[in-house]
Amino acid sequence: MSSLERRVAGKRLNRIDGIGKVTGKHVYAADFALPGMLFGKILRSGEAHARIARLDVAKALALPGVRSVLTAQDIPQIRFGTAIKDRTMFAEGEVRFRGEAIAAVAATSLEIAEAAVRTIEIEYEPLPAVFDPEEALLTGAPLVHAGWNDYQALPVFDREGNISGRSAIGGGDVEAGFARSYRVYEHRFTTQHVHPGYTEPRAAVASWDGNGDVIVWTNTQLPFDMKNMLAEVLDLPASKIRVIVPGIGGGFGGKLRVGVEHYAAWLARKSRRPVRVITTSEEELTDAYPRQPTVVTLKTGVSRDGLLLARQGRVILDCGAFANSGPATAAIALQVLAGPYRTPHLAFEGLAVYTNKGATGSFRAPAGPMANFAVESQIDLIADDLGIDPLEIRLRNIYREGDTGPAGETLASVSIEECLTKAAAAIGWSERKPGEGRGKGLACSWWLTTGGSSGVYVRINPDGTVTLISGAVELGSGAITGAAQILAEELGVDLTDINVTDVDTHSSPYDYGAQGSRTAFSVGNACIAAATDLRRQIFELVATQWNVPAASLRLENKSVVGGDKRMSLADVASLSQRMGGGLISHGTSIQPMPVFDPNRVKHHPLPAWTSHSFHAHAVDLSVDSITGEVSINRYVVAQDVGYAINPTYIEGQIEGGVAQGIGQTLSEEIVYEDGRVLNANLTDYKMPTMMDMPRVECILIEKPSVNGPYGAKGVGEPPCIEPPAAIANAIAVASGVRVQSLPITAEKIALRMNGGR
Amino acid sequence: MTRHALDLTINGESHQLMIEPHWSLLHVLRGELGMTGTKENCLEAECGVCTVLLDGKAVNSCILLAEQCRGRSIVTIEGLGDPEHLHPLQAAFIKHGAVQCGYCIPGMIMTAKSFLDERRGHVPSEAEVREALSGTLCRCTGYQKIVDAVIAAARQRNSWPEEARRS
Repeated sequence: MSSLERRVAGKRLNRIDGIGKVTGKHVYAADFALPGMLFGKILRSGEAHARIARLDVAKALALPGVRSVLTAQDIPQIRFGTAIKDRTMFAEGEVRFRGEAIAAVAATSLEIAEAAVRTIEIEYEPLPAVFDPEEALLTGAPLVHAGWNDYQALPVFDREGNISGRSAIGGGDVEAGFARSYRVYEHRFTTQHVHPGYTEPRAAVASWDGNGDVIVWTNTQLPFDMKNMLAEVLDLPASKIRVIVPGIGGGFGGKLRVGVEHYAAWLARKSRRPVRVITTSEEELTDAYPRQPTVVTLKTGVSRDGLLLARQGRVILDCGAFANSGPATAAIALQVLAGPYRTPHLAFEGLAVYTNKGATGSFRAPAGPMANFAVESQIDLIADDLGIDPLEIRLRNIYREGDTGPAGETLASVSIEECLTKAAAAIGWSERKPGEGRGKGLACSWWLTTGGSSGVYVRINPDGTVTLISGAVELGSGAITGAAQILAEELGVDLTDINVTDVDTHSSPYDYGAQGSRTAFSVGNACIAAATDLRRQIFELVATQWNVPAASLRLENKSVVGGDKRMSLADVASLSQRMGGGLISHGTSIQPMPVFDPNRVKHHPLPAWTSHSFHAHAVDLSVDSITGEVSINRYVVAQDVGYAINPTYIEGQIEGGVAQGIGQTLSEEIVYEDGRVLNANLTDYKMPTMMDMPRVECILIEKPSVNGPYGAKGVGEPPCIEPPAAIANAIAVASGVRVQSLPITAEKIALRMNGGR
Repeated sequence: MTRHALDLTINGESHQLMIEPHWSLLHVLRGELGMTGTKENCLEAECGVCTVLLDGKAVNSCILLAEQCRGRSIVTIEGLGDPEHLHPLQAAFIKHGAVQCGYCIPGMIMTAKSFLDERRGHVPSEAEVREALSGTLCRCTGYQKIVDAVIAAARQRNSWPEEARRS
């Protein structure tokens, strides 16, 4: 069914939370407060790797207004973590990065809490530290976790010393492939730490109730995961933890894991008062979950006409002092390296490596921009060397419908050719170097729609409105508006008839969370299931009343219709309240795992991708011949979204993702020197402003997926994958300078244009 | 610390407060008055989410002392429009899909109002809007739909309700 035949889905309707947001009435976690609330502050390590020789909090405790002080001595030190349980709430005897929490204070004002933290006395005995992930791999390198072998970890990961996870993907015989190649190319690429940059800091308010339950109001993307993590850290059954998510001011993968919630909960427990903890910009840039830096090496053998014959590669991912999602991210990098290209002989390896720097996380399309920067830069380098047009070499190698993917899975709904040709046509590819200092570049990729299950409760109210109760958080993308459009479509009501409740883990059904481009996809599918069940309930109830077969009834214009009889949904809901406990249904969804070849993947938590999307970016830019400054003239994205549930917010995802990608490409970096962040403020951490952003031209391609609602595919993450490579490729054309390390600052370009390295 | 009396006029209403001399306007708005429509982030005038109007001009309330606002007029997002009577800028932000997470939006709208009021009757170019609003960071939208919303609202200024046209 095309979008033309639908009333609500596919339409550019206003988002359901818009009015609250433009009037300042939408309450975010950072706005949330309780009477009598205390303010928490964390003491952080001033050393990158050291033993704590002395810690004295007596002066802090004595300060008027201080209600509690916590250190590792005061609470059970429970190790927690996503892949590996390698982290404790406070450093226990040893700090592993500059910025690690050592103590926390709750006081009647933030100023008093800050003053109290400054009075805490601490002495360190420095230990040898390692900051470079390649050095961390050398024999004899200092171990970030001497006791790594005793930690609990998910069994899928292969660990050793500073390697927190090693995974591999591939097949065929790469050596034989290289031997048969016309030419073999080897390149090395590096990428940097990048912060998600959400404008609302991480914030949590915790309060303990009369039942001994702790209620935590927080801006987490994963309320159910948060509940389990808090249960672990607080040493309580998960049923005693209640997570409520008011508004959330952006996340981008940076608000997946516990950040301030455990400090708020423990301080509230100790103080017997509600406590709020909120991060500062300095804390965000020193102890958050930024994108990992990587070193990617690629060796590629090609035939004379540019066909990829064999590819070997290694991703070294610097996960910092704690593994968090690093091992999984290093593994996902391998699919990004592989696709969207056919390669008979493939051998990729990913390593997540500990260093004495801040922990890292799952920033939007984890591993995507890093791996794509390497693959797509190299494809251009090969094309140039062989004298083949970069678009043409891509078209010769891309996946086709029914091809075999990197894990041996069969690929369906493949649209990469259409993405590439449309993006190239839109940018005017036939004229790649329109003038001196100006050039055009292309990059393409693919990405998954993350699985995991979703549940929704949908209730039809006696006034004819519909309440959608989901465990999924509206991050800002508009995904919940998209799911509500699907629900409205299925129930024959308007989008404005639908109300959505906040997520509360005590009452909302389970959802795997707002991550992995899955929210509209999975919650949308659960809404279809819920609506199907509600239609059954409605028809059965009305059929009994009218004494007609249920199959003779249909929904039309917010009413049940059968023959010449009609009953409004509102009246059916009232009837059901009187006779049947109300109209409510529980809809669920889960995306099936594709069949893959287990011999092609090793130690990989996501061995085969589902409902993958394809996309291509094309950019036209100019490089100043003296300063090296890059100005983007035009930026085009052709993205296969499967089905555009709401084109306006899909464009919003693309425009915003490209902005983050441009930031990563040209200006953003958390700069470390000997374990110390040199730019822990928003003046020196340079995110794109309105003046730095070009218009982004969006081409939405709709090649339906098998599993998504109305054929939709995941949309949110992909737009930040290709900008680094597309821009690097255009800069090479415009300036003759090929930069293989991110960010590609004006300084780097100017230095190279003037003969430096 | 000793508190002293301060009367502040916010959204046309007078507030009698007892404040500490070093408190910022942002702290008074959010912490003392519970007016959380004005947002808090970097606290060093880099991100712009705390922007309010002081005598009609956009200012970062995080680095403005409350004391400096004595005898002056403050307008926050709560004073611009309410859900039943949106200011044309608020309506344009919704219509153009300029709102995602929304955390920067109050600051963005207040900056846009100050900018449009300064040059009444002038429909700004895209470059002018980008320059004027570049002090507020948005991480969700890539800014494009915000620019479109501001220009669209400016184009229709003649049909704005009388109340919205006043600065």
